[in-house]
Order: sequence, then C-alpha cells, then structure tokens
Amino acid sequence: MNATRPLRSDLFVEGTPPRLIGSRCRETGEVFYPVQAMNPVTHKAGTIERVELDGAGTLLNYTRVLRGIPGFETPFAIGVIKLDAGPILTTQLADWADVDLRTGMRVELVIGQIKRDADGTVVTGPKFRPLEGSPA
Amino acid sequence: MSAVYVIGAGMTQFKPHPDTEVHELARQAAWDAISSSGVSPDDIELAYAGHAYQGQCFGQKVLLKIGIVGLPVVNCENACASGASAVWGVFNAIKAGQADIGIAIGAEKLASAKGGFTPLVADDLESSLGRVMPAVFGMMARKHMERYGTTLEQLAKIAVKNRRNGVRNPYSPWRDEITLEQVLTSPVIAEPLTRLSCCPVSDGASAVILASEKVVRRYTSKPVEIRSAVLASGIRNGVGMADDHSEMTIRAARRAYEQAGIGPNDVDLCELHDPFTIAELVHCEDLGFCAAGDGGRYVDEGRFDIGGDVAVSPSGGLLARGHPLGATGVAQIAEIFWQLRGEAGERQVPNARVGLAHTVGGGVTQIEAGATSVHILVA
Repeated sequence: MNATRPLRSDLFVEGTPPRLIGSRCRETGEVFYPVQAMNPVTHKAGTIERVELDGAGTLLNYTRVLRGIPGFETPFAIGVIKLDAGPILTTQLADWADVDLRTGMRVELVIGQIKRDADGTVVTGPKFRPLEGSPA
Repeated sequence: MSAVYVIGAGMTQFKPHPDTEVHELARQAAWDAISSSGVSPDDIELAYAGHAYQGQCFGQKVLLKIGIVGLPVVNCENACASGASAVWGVFNAIKAGQADIGIAIGAEKLASAKGGFTPLVADDLESSLGRVMPAVFGMMARKHMERYGTTLEQLAKIAVKNRRNGVRNPYSPWRDEITLEQVLTSPVIAEPLTRLSCCPVSDGASAVILASEKVVRRYTSKPVEIRSAVLASGIRNGVGMADDHSEMTIRAARRAYEQAGIGPNDVDLCELHDPFTIAELVHCEDLGFCAAGDGGRYVDEGRFDIGGDVAVSPSGGLLARGHPLGATGVAQIAEIFWQLRGEAGERQVPNARVGLAHTVGGGVTQIEAGATSVHILVA
C-alpha cells in the first residue's frame, strides 16, 4: 500500500464525519476557510480563533476535467461549494461518476485522494460527495 | 503630467521555439521594437520586463544582449497579466517624469510543458487541489449558459472567428481556418470546452517602446497615445473566475473609459483576454460592447468580427495567435499600435482609431483573480 500525506496540515481533521479547519472572528462572527492569520475583512489582528467547520454544503457550479495534468487521475470533477457554515471553496468532487450532477445539489465533505506525488505517495485533501435524491 | 505614446513595437511568432532560449526571443522582439521606433538603445531610460516563469533579473539579461545596461529595470510578475502590468509600469513612470523613453518587454517559454496546461501553482490552495484553468472557464461557461441560454454553437463561433483572424496574422502559427463542426467535435478538455475552445501554450516575446509628449515628435509623425492605463486586482468573492461576469474587469473598464473620456461605443477594436472561448463572450459584456447576456446574440450576428461593431481580437487573440503568458499583454499593445497606424496587413480593421487591450491573470484562492488591466489607445 502506498504512503499517504495530507496536502497541507491545516486544511481538515479526519474523523466521522471529517471536519474542515477554518477561522472565526470573535468580533464579527464571520467564518473563513482556509485558516486566516487575521481578519481579512476588518483588517484586525488578534480577533481570529481556530474553528472546526461542518462539511455540509451546496454545489454552486461544477465541471468534469477530461485531460489531465501530471499526478491527477482523469477524469476528475471540480466543484464550487458553498458551505452551510459560510465560506465558498473550489475543490474536487468524490463519487460523482454515476451521479447526474446539477447546480444546487447538496454535498458533504469527505477526505480523499487529490493527486499522487512523483514517488506514488497519495496526497489527500477535502473533497465533496454529492448526496443523491436531495432537492435542487 | 505627460501624455504617453507608443512609438515602436516588435514581436516574435508565437509558437514552440524549442531551439531558441527565451532571452533570445525577448531580444529579438525588443530589437524589432527599438529599430521600428527609431530610438537609439542609449535613449532608453527605463525598462519593465513581464514574465511569469523565466527566473531572476530576466529583463537585465535580455537588455544586456543589446548592450542596454545601467538603467532601472523592473521585473514584473502578474501571471497572464505580467506583460500588461509591464506596460502599465512604463506608462506610469513616463507620466510621472521618471523617463522620456521606456521599453516594456514581455516573454515566456512554456510550450515545452507537456500536456498543454500551464503549471499548477503549488502555493495556491485551490490550484493545488486541481482547479486547473480549463475547469475554471468550463464553470464560467456553465454559469453563463444556465443564466442566459448561451449555446455551445455560439461559443464555438468565437473560436472560428478568432482563427479566421489569426491565419491572417503572420505572428500566429496557424495557416488553416477551422469549422464550427471541428470546434464542437474536438476532444473535451473540461466540460463544455473542447481543445479548439482553449488557447495553446506558446513560446514568444513582444516589446513596445513608449515615449513622453516632450520627445515623441523626434521619432514619429504617427504616434499612438495610450489614453488610459488601469490595473486592478480581484475582490474577495469565493468563486474566483467561475462566474458569468468579471467584476474586476467591469470595474477596471469603467475607470479606463472615464480616464480616456471614451465610451465602449467608440472602440473600433479590442485585443481581449480570451484563453477560452467563453472568456471572450463574457468579457465583451464586461467591457460594455453589449449588455450582459447579449454576447451570444452579438456573436451570431457577427458584431465582433472585423467589420462589425467592434473587431474583437483581430490578431486572433490568445485563442489563435497564442498565449506565452508574459508576452501576451505586450503583444496586445503592439497589435493595437499596428492597427491604429494602418499597418496590420490582411487583418487590418478599417478606419481604426480607438483600440482597447484587456488582460486577466492569475488564479488566487478567495479573490476573483490576481490582476486585470485595461489600456485604451487612440491614434
């Protein structure tokens, strides 16, 4: 079995369910992903705390990539996800092959393979799995 | 403050140049620009060199080959807008009285990158998660199609039109036109964009010579004025460029039109950032050439063709002239310079008096994109 490593150490915590690591401003309550060193909206330092974010969200946009780049297995799917917790992020989708993808679909966070390093190491990161049967 | 003029331009052909190093490509373009302008190398007081991947002190190494040394040289990285940012830098330096003659150089050698994608940016989170540019623009297309009913045929017509322009441009590598059918049936890169809906990765270089009001008449009786030069970056929007419009392009264009005292209806030709077909359609709307959502209809009616309301990318654009990242923004200014002087040969836009150059560069997680620029030039 190949070795695995997270893409970055500050993106997610594994578990059931996995969670994203983000930041929350103690003054405004705004939640950010990825982690911030200071509040990029108020420009204040010292108001940011680490927070674990629930991985439920909605698919705003998506596409399937058929021609690849080194290390990425094609085809893969990319989606723009609006987390219920607030932030919007773009990353890969998981378990999408047999799903009729559509905007407005509910999705949930899973941790899975993003790509492989040149030595075969599996690089893991946040991906989102479509929840079939959910209302658009 | 001085008005600023373009007085010379040079360019290599945009194509794979496997046997020529990038500094030599840039030297050729710079020397062509210098020769065509009539300035002596010793007259050049300031230089900006735009590139994304060519290493430290690139501009100094290029200028050394011509024997231009000792002057201030700024190397300028803004991803696909690096070259445009270099022009902006020289423009502002001349306007501020730092120099009377300056050169902006843009160059890139990338065609050796196998697979056709530009390298992923490891220090950008979403890029390292696999958010490649064809995916971003594929999602831009989906959003525009869902919101406005834009069709794949309309997008494909943009590739056909730009190739028709490109084959008439000696700086483009292509000599064969393409059909709607070919665009629609070429292999899909990222849905719904096919290979012929995407620009190639190219090698190439371009350069322009800019001059102040004080000295311009020494060199030419046909100067082209840069009436406005606006550079902007994206605001936090979460979705990046995967949207049906570009807020930063709209904002930069509004400022450029105000500064120039010129409106979108006055523009005769536009060299526009079209790495993918959908980008031309969206940015034509952003730049005010038609209302949001009308781009598809304008394409159907040929209103962005040479001879239409505004000739969009008469050079062939990124799609059909090529896109060596750092060279592109400078090449756009060079093309408009030639067009406004009536020197564009078979691709000449009739009676061209006002040209607009537009670039977008750099995927940056959380903001729309790294940079956009709008330059308005007047004969």
